Parts: sequence; C-alpha cells; structure tokens
Amino acid sequence: MSSRDTILATLRANRPDPAAHELPPVAVLGDMDAGKARFEDALQLLGGQILLPQEGDTLASAIARRFPDAKIICSAVPDFEGTIRLEDVASPQQAAATDVLVVRSPFGISEMGSIFLSEAQLNSLNSAAHLTQHIVVILSEKNLTANMHTAYVERPEFHTAHYGVLMTGPSATADIQGVLIRGAQGVRSLSVWWE
Amino acid sequence: MKIGLFIPCYIDAFYPNAGIATLELLEKLGQDVDYPLDQTCCGQPMANSGCNSDAAAAEALFVRNFAKYDAIVMPSGSCTHHVRDNFDAIPQTAEVQHVRKNTFELVEFLHDILKVEDFPWAEFPHKVGLHNSCGTLRALRTASMSELGEPFFSKPMDLLSKVKGISFATPKRPDECCGFGGTFSVTEEAVSARMGLDKVRDHHQAGAEYIVSADTSCMMHQQGCAERGGVPIRFIHIAEILNGARS
Amino acid sequence: MKVKPVNHAKAAEAFLEDAPHLTFHDERLWDMRQKRDQQMHLLPEWQELRSRASAIKEHTLANLPEYLEQFEANAKKNGIHVHWAADGAEHNRIVGEILEKHGAKSLIKSKSMVTEECDMRAYLEPRGVVVTETDLGERIQQLDGQMPSHIVVPAVHKLVPDVARIFAKNYNTDPNDDSPQSLAESQRMAARPVILTADAGMTGGNFLVAETGTFVVCTNEGNADLSATVPNLHIATLGIERIVPRMADMGVFVRLLSRSALGSPITQYTTHFRGPQKGGEMHIVLVDNGRSARLGMEEFWTSLKCIRCGACMNTCPVYRRSGGLSYGAVYSGPIGAIIDPTFNERKYSTLPFASTMNGSCTNVCPVKINIHEQLYKWRRVLAEHHELPFVKREIMHMAGKLMGQPTLYRTAINGTEVALSSLPRFVLYNWLNPWGKHRELPHPVKQTFHSWYKKNRLKGKEESKGGKA
Repeated sequence: MSSRDTILATLRANRPDPAAHELPPVAVLGDMDAGKARFEDALQLLGGQILLPQEGDTLASAIARRFPDAKIICSAVPDFEGTIRLEDVASPQQAAATDVLVVRSPFGISEMGSIFLSEAQLNSLNSAAHLTQHIVVILSEKNLTANMHTAYVERPEFHTAHYGVLMTGPSATADIQGVLIRGAQGVRSLSVWWE
Repeated sequence: MKIGLFIPCYIDAFYPNAGIATLELLEKLGQDVDYPLDQTCCGQPMANSGCNSDAAAAEALFVRNFAKYDAIVMPSGSCTHHVRDNFDAIPQTAEVQHVRKNTFELVEFLHDILKVEDFPWAEFPHKVGLHNSCGTLRALRTASMSELGEPFFSKPMDLLSKVKGISFATPKRPDECCGFGGTFSVTEEAVSARMGLDKVRDHHQAGAEYIVSADTSCMMHQQGCAERGGVPIRFIHIAEILNGARS
Repeated sequence: MKVKPVNHAKAAEAFLEDAPHLTFHDERLWDMRQKRDQQMHLLPEWQELRSRASAIKEHTLANLPEYLEQFEANAKKNGIHVHWAADGAEHNRIVGEILEKHGAKSLIKSKSMVTEECDMRAYLEPRGVVVTETDLGERIQQLDGQMPSHIVVPAVHKLVPDVARIFAKNYNTDPNDDSPQSLAESQRMAARPVILTADAGMTGGNFLVAETGTFVVCTNEGNADLSATVPNLHIATLGIERIVPRMADMGVFVRLLSRSALGSPITQYTTHFRGPQKGGEMHIVLVDNGRSARLGMEEFWTSLKCIRCGACMNTCPVYRRSGGLSYGAVYSGPIGAIIDPTFNERKYSTLPFASTMNGSCTNVCPVKINIHEQLYKWRRVLAEHHELPFVKREIMHMAGKLMGQPTLYRTAINGTEVALSSLPRFVLYNWLNPWGKHRELPHPVKQTFHSWYKKNRLKGKEESKGGKA
C-alpha cells in the first residue's frame, strides 16, 4: 500500500466520530466598518504609510518627493510611467534592482490595513513585489472590505489566483532581542496611494 | 448543615494556625463543624504524579471520613480541585459522588454557600497582596482570569474587602503561577524556586507587607523563597485574617 | 534501544544561572503575552472566535481523510504535485528526489517546524544540497547549530551580542556590532544573493484549504514569499492536520493566529498558494509522522488542533524560565510537552512533569486545547507505562499506602511534632532534598492541628460522640 493509502486508512480507523463534530456555519463576526480611517489606522500600526498628496500632486510627483534617491521606479500599472515597466522586467534577478515598485491592489481590508496582490497585478513576476526595496500600492476606498471574514467570503481572488498575498505594511522582524525592525528581507516600506 | 473539616497534611504539620482559624471562623459563623480524626490526605500528591492507583487508599479513607457530612470544607484550593475534578482512583459510588459534589474550598464556601456579608471581628491594618493559587483561580474559578478578558471578579477579594483597615497592593503579574506545583517544587526545584522568588518580589515591589492566600502550600513555598532571597514580606492565610488576626 | 529521558530540570538550572539571558527571555515572552491580551480586549468576539476555531478544527480532524482527499484533488487540478509522507525519512527522501530531478544544489527555505521534525537539513546536506534558512531567527539558529527554541521566535533566547558573535563568524561582520538594525541588515545583505541564485525554494505552511487546494503561509519577514517566488521550483511541507474545510474559515484563523502569537493583528504577509507560478513547478508534501496515530488517542487527539502560534509558550512561567532548548525536543513548552511523548514516550517522559499544571496555557490557546489537562493525563499514562523514575514511583506507592492508614500516618506525624527542624520525610519524602537548595524550610511549630484539636475541642465532646483518637 502507498503511504497515501496507509495514512488515509489509519486516519479512517482512528478518527473520532464525525457525527459528534459538525461543521459550524461560516463565521462572519466583528466590526463591519469598511472605512478608510480604520484601514489607515491598522496599516500604520503595522508600519505601513499613506502617501499623502500635496496641493497639485500627481502620483509621480508624490513618489519623487517620497523617494528622492530612487533610480529604478518600476510600474505595474498603465496610468503611471516610472522608469521601467514591469512587463519589461524579465527575471527576479532584474527585478532585484528595483527601488520602487508601483502596483494597483484590487482590494484592501480595513480591519488589518492589508492590501492584496496576485499574479494578475504583478504580470506573473510575483517576486517583484518582494525584491523591490519599496512598494507603492494604489488602492481605491470603494474596494475596501471590512474584515478578514468579509474578505474571504466576498473576494473571488482567493478562489482564482495561483499566488495571492495579503501584505500588511513592510516586511518586519523582531528576531534580534525583540527589537522591531521594519524592512527585514522583503520591502523596506509599503505606502498606499488613494485613488 | 453538618460540616466536615478537612485539614490538609501540610497545614496540619506546618501551619496549624491556618487550620485553627478556619475552624474558629466557621464556628463564629454559627456552623456545626466536625474534624474527623482519622483523616490523612485527599490523594492529590499521588494522582498529580501520575500514580493514580496509589491515590486509591487515601481517596477511600477520605470518603469513609467525610461521606456522612452535608458539606466538606477545606482551607485549600488544590485539594478541593482534586476531590471535585480528579478524584477517580476509586469506584464512583453514590457516596463518592456525594463527597465530590459537596466539597468546598473555604473562600467559595463563605462566599457562595454561607454568603457571609460581614466579619465584624476582623481588622487587618496592612497592605496585602492577594495570591490566588492556580487551583482556585483556574480550576475552582474563584476569581476572573486575565487570559480570558472576562469582567473582573474575585471572591477572596470580596471577602477581604469586608475587613476593616485592609488595603491591597497590585502586583504586575497577579495571575502568574508561583511555581509550587506539588512535586514540581522538588523535581524542578531550580525553576520552582525562581518562580517563587519572582512572585514574592512582584508583591513586595507593589508595596505588599503580607501575601495572603487561600492556599498554604503556595505560601509555604513562597515563604521559603522570600526568606532565602531576603525579600521582607510576611505570609498569612485568608482564614486567619477573616477570623480576626491583627498581624 | 535504551533512550535516556530528557533532563529538563538540569538544563533549566543551567539556563537560570545566566541572569541577563533569563531576564530578557522572561520579559520578552511576557511582553508578547501582554500584547496578545491587548488584542483580545479589542475584540469583543474573541471567545466566540476561539470556540469557532476549535469547532472547525475538531470537525476537520473527525473528517480528515475526506478533507485531505478533497485538498489533493483540488491541488492537483491546479497543477500542484501532491506527495504523501508517512514519516520524516520518507519526507526527506521525497524532497531529495525532487531536488535531484531538477539538479538543484542550493535550497532556500523559510521556517517550517515539520522540516525540523524530519531533521531534513541533516539528510540533504550530505547529499550535496546547501540548505539556507532565510528566516532571521531560524538562520541564527542554523548558524549556531541549535534547534529553534520557540516555534515562532526561534532565537528568542539570544541577546544582541550572541547574534553579533554568530554573524561575525559567518558573515565577517563586526563582532562588537551592538545594533539590532545593522545586524538585521547584515542578514538581508547576506541572504539576498543566496536567494537570487538558489535552485529551489521551500516553505512550510500554516493552513491547507480543502475547498480550493490552497495552502496558506503566514510570515513577517518576506523571506517565505521570496523563497517561494524567486526560484522556479517551490516545495512546501505541511502536517496533514493543518487543514480547514473552506476558504471562508480562514477568517477565523487569520484573526486569531498573529494576535495570539505576537500580539499583532496579522502577520505582515499572509500568502495563499493555489498553484505554481508562471513557468514554475510546485510540490506539496503532506506529512503524517505520527499524526494519524495520535488521532486515535482518545485523550490526546485534540492536540492536533494546534495552529502553532506559541501563545502557550509565551504565557508559560516554566517555559519562560527554562528556555525552549531545555525541552530537548523540536516542540517545546506546554504544547511540546503534550505532543513530544507521542514521538518518543521514553525520551520525552519527563516533559509532562516540567509543568505546574497552572492552566494559563489552556486559557490562551486560540483553538482551546485543554493543554494542562492533557499534561495531567499524560502523567497517568506515563506512570502506567512505567516511564516514571523508579524512586519517584516507589515513593508515591509508599506514600499512597501510608495515606490510607490513619494510625500509621499519625505516628509518622507525631514523630516530627515537637521539634520540626528538618522536613519530615513522611510528607516531603527522601527525594525532596532539593527543597532547601534555593528555599528555606517551613518553621517548626509546637503542635499539629490534630493535637490542638484534640486538646481544645475534644475534651468532653469525645465521649458523647463516640469519636476515637
């Protein structure tokens, strides 16, 4: 018998009575506020930032101000130029040179300040989201969902994407003597630009 | 109501004043209390060590001693927890079930059964730190548990609040185990003693002159740690304060 | 083969002797517990979430074969290669074969307790595969030749100078670097080229979703996503118990996991892998390694609900003062003490006794495992299986006999009544000598309660009631 069949047979022989353990209905609990303010508070708690427009700002000028030293600004969206387009990035090795990646997220979660990205937003170069030094995420307030329950119940992406990441602020670690460091191995900063 | 008084072995041998206070207090409250002389132990040390069958003789004797009482009261949370929740080394006869159902730790007996409103004789002009043993806190549920975020309640605090002159110190980690843990205190003596020292320091730094508890076993351990570690703090069983001890 | 039980007490004693490490370890983990409490207080539905999580997990475990089959079918449909490993050896062989087929000589991996269980690095490295842990804490442990001491924060027992020393040796950094920021940056700089040139990536995983064939990985550093997306070959290893039925169930678990673990609302990365990336290949190894047997243990099967958050470790006063390595096992702390004996009953027979059974672990567990009750039950099982030290068993046996004989017991007590200058053997037994090592003994008393009662209450009462002394 294969290990698969042995394991399944053992599980069948050993399991507790299924009739005694019914599946509870899907839980949709908690605060249903899908607002921008809640999202921003949550995002900032996890070290994320809001890229705030100044008078007359475009996304390009806001990025230029926020990242004055950035040499390679890679755009994954049609409505922003950058210095290079993600479609023209051929490999992770090339993506690793990126200073700032600009992407558009299909939805955010107010409870957590999380944004979602999948291969659909990353032109299938998923590593680009993690190899760039900084990431700027374009998000629309109308695409906010209240909390984790509503996100999983409502969003089709969890059933379609091969790679779907909820990013909540920049990469972080506290593995050295408990000191919180933002910018561990993935992005050093994550900024949200409201559209 | 006829009460059978159980005095755990370590109180009998090392802290008789806690036993005397328990008896006198119940008598002051008008209760009819017997102390069966043939009592030894509830069986907990053996059962907690995994040697459940070795607890059978103690449990059987306990039932012989106490089956005839309406209520069995003891100044010990961990013994109560054993009798109520784990006392299964012997067949669960009706007698055994009667004993298990009607065994109470002193604080819960005063608070829930007698519903004592007043201790007019009691006055304790000191700042005390209350130590809830893990048995009383998480098994008997005589106080709210910080891990669950439930609304605050504390049966021992309710009772002590009726004592004139008493005030309370608030340690930083009120629910942290003091490290006694029965045989743990010797099989893991280093960790146990360190936990005890941390516990008494926490109370001392919060300004407590006394640590008060419904469990003498925890205090026996804590006192040993405080004395060795040079932490100037005193220990008193809650029954002694409620019975009118002034120091 | 005779295996020696882990000497937790001795290892803990050594841990306690180092004051700076001890103090930091205790306070750091206590702080994580406090942050967990703060998150709990923000969610009025916290207890409801715990109940739901527990019910979903119990249901899933009772229907585990069906859900695993459903998962497998969906994952295959999405192009994932699904493997089944009965034990650690088979797991390692499977991973080794996948790597060999691809000619992969360098493997970057994120944290996975299952690969620790299987001792995978020790298998792959002699076969010419360079395995690089990319999680900072796990990497520190790898470079130092130690197991992770905590399932979430693997190097929590180390201080900045320890890390500086390890990095100096391996990364040629300044051995006196006292800045966690610059040390973390050294790791980033050292890891990046390794990541960019690796032949294969490996991750663990927190959840399997039967409905979609997805596995979910929750991390903070970004290293798991890098490990999974930079190389074209991604192998993931998960225990078979990590499954939930529906994608919508993930809401419950994601809301509980990081709040329980670190006291943060969510991990920085919550990644859902449902199929290989463009041009890539994805494998998942479903590992049993004792789990299917544990499911049949009536008193212990609910330990399989565990989502590896580490909250029980953070709150455990014994763990905080003994360090994870003192448990001598892949899984330490309260959860370790109840699952390790299922891997090796003799070797880990001491661990259920490395606890005061205070119950705080049970209260913080997000999936409501009755950890402290299982510790109690394990003690019974171990005693029944003769896995207790002989002396302890004998003492309990003798004590049990004595406690059943009131006259004998009273004689033993009375011998100590007049001058209690040492601990009486009848209560504290001869192996209790360690009591006095760090503690004073109880003070002598003039008389026992028993004697006092006879003198003060029985005069005159005795005859009328027919009581006997």
